[in-house]
This record gives sequence, C-alpha cells and structure tokens, in this order.
Amino acid sequence: MALCVSVDHVSKQYILGNFGYGTFRHDLQSWWAKLRGKEDPNAKLGGPGLGEANEEFMALNDVSFEVHEGDRVGIVGRNGSGKSTILKILSRLTTPTRGSVKIKGRVASLLEVGTGFHPDLTGRENVYLNGSILGMRRWEIREKFEEIVAFSEINQFIDTPVKRYSSGMYIRLAFAVAAHLKSEILILDEILAVGDMGFQQKCVAKMKSLGQDEGRTIIFVSHIPGYVKELCTRAILLRKGQMVMEGETLPVMDEYERELRG
Amino acid sequence: MSEIERTDEVAWDHVITSKKRVLDINVKELVKYRDLLFLLVRRDFVAQYKQSVLGPLWFFIQPLLNTLVFTVIFGNIAKIPTDGIPNMLFYMAGTVVWSFFSLTFTNVGMTFATANGLFSKVYFPRLIVPIANVINNVITFGIQFLLFLGFLFYFLLAGSALHPNLWILFLPILLIHVGLFAMGTGLIVSALTTKYRDLRFLVGFGLQLWMYATPVVYPASIVKPSLLWVLWMNPLAPVVEFFRFMFLGKGIVNPLFYSISVVESLLLILLGLVLFTRTEKDFIDRI
Ligand SMILES: Nc1ncnc2c1ncn2[C@@H]1O[C@H](COP(=O)(O)OP(=O)(O)OP(=O)(O)O)[C@@H](O)[C@H]1O
Ligand SMILES: [Mg+2]
Repeated sequence: MALCVSVDHVSKQYILGNFGYGTFRHDLQSWWAKLRGKEDPNAKLGGPGLGEANEEFMALNDVSFEVHEGDRVGIVGRNGSGKSTILKILSRLTTPTRGSVKIKGRVASLLEVGTGFHPDLTGRENVYLNGSILGMRRWEIREKFEEIVAFSEINQFIDTPVKRYSSGMYIRLAFAVAAHLKSEILILDEILAVGDMGFQQKCVAKMKSLGQDEGRTIIFVSHIPGYVKELCTRAILLRKGQMVMEGETLPVMDEYERELRG
Repeated sequence: MSEIERTDEVAWDHVITSKKRVLDINVKELVKYRDLLFLLVRRDFVAQYKQSVLGPLWFFIQPLLNTLVFTVIFGNIAKIPTDGIPNMLFYMAGTVVWSFFSLTFTNVGMTFATANGLFSKVYFPRLIVPIANVINNVITFGIQFLLFLGFLFYFLLAGSALHPNLWILFLPILLIHVGLFAMGTGLIVSALTTKYRDLRFLVGFGLQLWMYATPVVYPASIVKPSLLWVLWMNPLAPVVEFFRFMFLGKGIVNPLFYSISVVESLLLILLGLVLFTRTEKDFIDRI
C-alpha cells in the first residue's frame, strides 16, 4: 500500500505560563519606559517568578512514523502524552516547531467534542457547513445527506439548532458527517467518550468497514484499549511527548497496559 | 536509504512545517472552498437581520437612523454647512460610504476573535472568513446604496440643485478601493488582536474618532484651503468627497491625494495578508 502520511522528526514546543495575555497598554508602557531610559514598570509586575513561569515545554519530542493507505492506526498514551497535539498538527490546525508532516489526500478530522459545528445553526445547516469545510461541493453533500441523518439517528432533531443537542447527539452527527463525506484520511480524537455503548459499537463497526471496504485511512485516539484492539491494524504509544513504541496493535497495547498499571 | 526514496516518490498534497513563507496564499485551495464561502456569506447575512426585531428592514433602518441623528445634531443644532446640498442627502451619502468601511473593517478585524471556535477544531483556508465578511458588507452596502438612490431621485424630482455626473462610472473602482483598504486594515488588526487583547476596545474608540477626521458630517470645503492637506492625510477623506461629487456634484476631488489613497490601500492589503497568513498558522496555540 502506498504511503499517505509521513511524520518526520516532529517536535512541538509550547510556552507555559501567561505569555498569551499581552496587552497593548503594557507593551506601550514598557516601550515608553525604555525610550526614556527608565526601568520597565512591567518587569517588576510579575516579580522574580515570572521568567520561570514562561518556561518551554515539549509536548512532542522527535516523533517519526509513517501511515499507509488503508491503515487504521491507534495512538495511545496517558493524559498529556501528546496525542491530541499530533492530531492537531496532522489536521493542519497548528504547525510543528521542528520537523515536518507530509500528507497525501483529503483529511477529515473530528477533534474532541465540539467539532467545528456552529451552535446557532440547525443540524441540517451544520451538515452542509461541515461538509463544505471538508472542501466538498454542495451536491456531494446532498447525495449523502439521508445516509448521514439515518446513521446519526437524530432524525427528529435535524432542524433544531445544535446548541440544543445533548453532547452525545452532537458527536453522533459530527461522526456521521465525517464518516460519510469523502475524505481519504479520517482523524478521530476520543470521539467515543460521550456516545452511549450502542453508538460506540456502531462507530467502531463503521470505522472498521471504512477501512476494510473503502480503503480509507484512519488515525484514532482512544482511552479504551478494547476499541483500539478491535479497530486498529497498528498502534503507536506516546509517553511524555516521545514515541516509545510503534507496530502491531497487540504488543503496543500490552506495553501501554503495563505502563497504566505502573 | 530506500525509505527516503520511497517517501520522495509520493505526490504530497500538504507539507506541514514550521516554515513561514512571507505570503502564503493558496489560491487554488480558496477556489475549491467556494461553497463554504457562499455558505458563510449567507449565514452571516441572515444572522444579521435575524438578530434584530426589525428583520430585513434593519438594513434600511440603520442608515436612516444615522442620517436622522446627523441631520438633527450637525445640521439643525450645530448648523454645519453641507455645500448647499439638502441635509439628509448629504449625511446619507457620507454615512453609506463610511458604514461600508467601518463595518468591513470591524468584521474583518474580529476574524480571529469570532471564529476561534471553528479555527481550533477544523482546518479550512482561514482567509475564507474575512473574504466572506467583505462580500457580506458589499451586499449590505448595495442595499443601503439603493436607499440612497431612492432619496437622490426624490430630491432630483423635487428640483434640488444636484448634479450627478459621469464620474458615477468610477463607483466600482471606488468600492474596490474602500473594500481593499478596509480589508487590509482589518486583517492587520485581526493579526494584532491575537497578541494584544485590549486592542479591540482601542479600535472601537479609534474608529469613532476616525469618523470625525473624515468628511462624513461636514464637507471638506469648510476646512481652510491651507490646512486641507491635513484632512487629505486620512485616506478615507478623498473617498467620501469623491463619492459625494459623483452623485451630488459637490465635493473637493484632489486627484493626487486620491491616488495616494489608492496606493495606500494596496500596500495595506499586502501587509494585512502577510500578517494574517503568519498568524493563522499557529494562533490556536495562543488562545
Ligand atoms: N496551547 C497550549 N499551550 C501550552 N501547553 C499546551 C497547549 N496545548 C497542549 N499543551 C500541553 O501539551 C501536552 C500534551 O497535550 P495533549 O492535548 O496532546 O495531550 P493528550 O495526549 O491528548 O492528553 P489527553 O489524553 O488528556 O487528551 C499537555 O501537557 C498540555 O498541557
Ligand atoms: Mg487529548
């Protein structure tokens, strides 16, 4: 099978602390003070601790792997190990600090609850919005519309604004859209967490068939080992931003479960 | 070794790295997303009047209300001359052009603030959002402009001394000019607001002052000729005067300063696009 994702020595560095809350007033003050040769009034503000608070943090550290067409890859690891971070980079929501990611094909991603739905729009409008966001044409979406609604089982609520949906209904519709619209690569982050057991089973079965019957590539993050084992052909284990193991699902999951047991 | 060769054989669609190119715009991708553009334009347009009790009438009420307030305050109370043009028509011309600028500028400037929910969950070319805002405001301008034309015809029939002239043909260029200027300044603000949160309030306040630095509620002719160049420093001043000149036949048109304003709008849109495309790449890390 041909290669469709190549992750090459990817690192992602975040800066911890409150650096993001810069205000124009503060910068102006600092600049004005510097201009007059005075001490920066804002340097004192945080006290000595401020510099340390803005420390750098590696959410991903030199991660490399490849995915082939039709692969179903599970990414596992404890909270904060960098799973969502790698998915965000793959989905082009942010860039790696070092390294590169190359992708072939259309990517549809469903990152945690609250996918790019617009709360004030109805389910129907959101299906079209989401489809267009994936780069689909209107007629392509219309073709699949009935199937999407049937799969999500929210028929009766399709013309209600999605802000009135329960979180399970929300994710049902979001998953149905992502699964039915054309995209070569499907990226899913913990989407099963809020669905009920019936829907979880249905999703896993659907993903399996997407991979097996339609040859779609799936990259899947879940905290439920059973589903990863059931669905994935390969798995990747992350620990504190580093990839510690990659390969066949079962051995990787064994290692992960050993890690969980401590 | 063999692995590297294999990697290079694939025709990659996307390459994601930390590299920031100076002007990273993928026009082909933007075109591919045209359906999303239409959808966003429609959504914003409908949302605008759905939020108001008056419904679609809102598009007319807004300029009418502005015109009325200006007529009372600046026309009847302050008695600022209006170049001999009926007060209402004079203010309406000003407010229609000014609103086009200020609404576009504000909407585009808020891009990252209003769309961050969407931006942090799904990828699509981010520029679609400000482009949708501009189109949306062009439509709004179109509606309000019709209202203005209605008033113009009324006053013409009533025999006012108005002289609409062939320069009207220049209107599309004036619109593109103002649109680019508003989008350029808006994009710059949108990029800066991801760094400075308090900038948004400053901008709202600045916009109000800016209106008074623009001949919206007064004609350029009340400024002393020797000081007129100060007024022309504001790129929107020549625009509003030119608009009035086209439709009403009164207004000071200074070709030099108008051209400077056009050049400025081109430079600003370029700078805006550069800043915006730099910011969009990883701004979700900082929200
Ligand atoms: N914007 C950000 N700024 C600073 N740190 C961040 C940012 N986003 C994520 N992090 C940090 O990066 C680390 C990895 O986060 P990530 O969301 O990838 O973890 P995860 O493996 O998905 O965890 P979970 O299982 O809880 O979903 C965490 O320690 C998190 O605090
Ligand atoms: Mg996560």
